This record gives sequence, C-alpha cells and structure tokens, in this order.
Amino acid sequence: MTEKKSRPPKRAESASSPSFEELRQQRTAFVSSFFKKGAEITDELVKENERLRGAARKLEAENAALRTQLKSDDAIREALKKIEALEREKDALLSQFSQAEAVTSTFTARYTEIEEELANLANVYVASYQLHSTLRLPAVVQHLRELLAQLVGARAHAVYVADEKRKQLVPVSCDGVDMDRVPRVQLADAAEPPKGGAAILERVFLTGVPHIEEGSLSEAGFDSPAACLPMRIEDRAVGVIAIFAVLPQKERFMAVDFELFKMLAAHAATALAGAMLYSHADGKLPGLEVFRDLEAPRSG
Amino acid sequence: MSAEYSCLVVEDSPMMRQLLVFALSRVKHLRVTEADDGVDGLRKLAAGKFDIILTDINMPIMDGLKLVKRVRSDPTHKDTPIIVITTEGSQEDRQRAMQLGANAYITKPIQAPQVIAKVKELLKIEH
Repeated sequence: MTEKKSRPPKRAESASSPSFEELRQQRTAFVSSFFKKGAEITDELVKENERLRGAARKLEAENAALRTQLKSDDAIREALKKIEALEREKDALLSQFSQAEAVTSTFTARYTEIEEELANLANVYVASYQLHSTLRLPAVVQHLRELLAQLVGARAHAVYVADEKRKQLVPVSCDGVDMDRVPRVQLADAAEPPKGGAAILERVFLTGVPHIEEGSLSEAGFDSPAACLPMRIEDRAVGVIAIFAVLPQKERFMAVDFELFKMLAAHAATALAGAMLYSHADGKLPGLEVFRDLEAPRSG
Repeated sequence: MSAEYSCLVVEDSPMMRQLLVFALSRVKHLRVTEADDGVDGLRKLAAGKFDIILTDINMPIMDGLKLVKRVRSDPTHKDTPIIVITTEGSQEDRQRAMQLGANAYITKPIQAPQVIAKVKELLKIEH
C-alpha cells in the first residue's frame, strides 16, 4: 500500500519532464548558440590576428627606420672622420706649400743676386776687355772715358798722369768739364800743400788708397770729388782718375761701381802705360830677342 | 736650340755694344745682331727681319732718332718694338724718340737686369 502512495502519478511525471520536441529544440538552440559563439570567437580571433599583424608591421617599420637612422649616424661619423683626415691633409699640404714658397722665395732672391753678380762681372769683363783691346793711345783714352761715362755714370771726370820731373799730376783727358777748369795738382814737396780736391788727389796718388764717397753723391764737385782712384803698375803710382760729378739719377755708388773701381785701379795704368810705350815706339813691337833673357820656369 | 727671337743692337760704342750683347745673352732663344751706327742698322734691317731693336740715340752718321723715323716708315718694320738708350740729361731726345714711335727707353748707365726686363716685356716673354 505504501508503494502505491510513493509512486508519482503517471500524468504528473509526463508533465514535469521536457518533451522530445523540447529537447530537440533545446539541442538545436544549444548547437546554434554554440556555433554562433564559435563564429564570434573566430571573428574575434581573426580580428585580433589582424591587429597583431598590423602591430607587427608597425614594429617592423619602426625597426627599419631605426636601422636606417643607425646607418645614417654611422655615415655621419664616417664623414666626420673623413673630414678630420682631410683637414689634417689640408694642413700638411698648406705647411708643405708654405715651405715650398719659402724655398722658392729664397731661390728667387738668390737667382736675382746671381743675375746681378753676373751683370756686374759682365760689366767688369767688358770694361777690362775694352781697355786692353787696343794699344793705340787715343783708343785707350776713349775707352777709359766711355767706361767712366757709360758704366760708372760719371758726368765730369779727368784722368791725371804723373809728371815725375815736374812733380805734378797733369790732366791728360777729361769729359764733362773744360780742361782749363780741371784742378792742377802739385805733388808732395811743393812749398804750398794742396787744398780741397787737389789735396784728395795728391793723397790718393801718394798713398795708393782710393777715395770713394759712400754716401750721397749730389754734393760732389772739384772740392770733394765723388771718387779718386789711384792708377798703379805694381807698386809704382802712375796717375789718378778723378770723378767730379755723376749723372743726376746716380744717387750713390753701387756694388758694381766698386768692382769697376778696383778693376780700373789695376788695369787703367797698364793699359795707358802700354799705349804710351807703343805710341813712343811708333807702333813698333820689339823683336823676339826680348824673350831671350826670360828665366825658364822651374819644374817640381 | 734655335733662336725664336732676333734682336738688332745699334750702338757706336764697342763697350756699350758688348755690354748690351752680354745682357741680351741672358734672354733665352734670342739671337743678337750688332750694328755700329744708324746706317749700319738700316743695312742689317734691309737684310733680315727683327723682332726687336735697341738703339742708342747719339751716334755718328745717322743717330738713333733718324733710325727710329726710318724704321717706322718702313712697312716691313713699322711694328717692330724699338727701345732707345738715352742719357738722363737728354729728356728732349727721349720725348722725340717716343713721338717718332719708339716703344720704350733705357737710361744710361744701363743695368743688365733692366735691359733684360724691358726686352722680355716687349717680346712678351714670361721667363
């Protein structure tokens, strides 16, 4: 009896449990919901994947930009190094250039000096060549005059030869001044010692020491000659060359003039004396007998 | 080495002539011909062509001024550069020479570097 009471009624049991149709609907709904959820998740995953791909591309782009930047920085550093090296090279070249310039300048100066020396030597050579190119007295005197006028630039000058008998310096040639105006010079033992320019001429003749004005030549004249040069053959005084005035453009004597004066002191006397002897001998040369008494050169 | 330029030196003084020749020997490729005076100069000019002429002014027979005048009236040499050699005092001669057609002048006493520089300048030689 008890068993019958505890068993639920058949109609009530069928009412509380879902029917097959309901179950089928529930299953369909569940499956539909499941697939719907799956599709939604898939969509979300695809979207997330897309987003992540975008982010990855962005990062790659950033990475590429950073790499480029890095390369660019390297290039700049490289360029700076090159600039420094070029700057050093430029400094070295400038230094070499300065040295070369200094050397060139030295060479140019030396070249100019040598050219001047060469010109001076040419002057001296030409002068001595011309002085000794003839034995004719007028030609020697003419060369002497030309030498003084053209090479030295003498505007007024005279050549004196010593007259040993009368103890006088006698002018034998002059240029730029009348012979009458040229001072006469009485030598040492005259009663009255000479004065002014004559005193200078006498002193030069007696001592053999030339008188050459080293300063300005504008004040030169008879009383203070610009230059007096002794004419000597070995130790014997033969005469004096006096330069009383020079051309206006010649402000002072230059190196070449001093060389010419030395040459004149040594050569003018021999040229003049040779020409005087030749003139005295009427242009005849002595025979070979003059060589007879010459001492034979010693050997060893 | 053949000469590229030729120069005529007209000077009566052997000393000055020799000195000028010495100075001009420092100019490379320059051949120098010498003449004793103006007439001799004209003779040498008639015999050949010259690139430059150096002449003294004071010379016997024919002086430098007459020579300059003759050269300028000669079609062959009318454009040849002429340098006259003068003394400082003869400013009139210098002016006259320039009026007659000389291109330059050198004052005595001559300096070789000055002669060389003037010749190079007129011949347009750089070195």
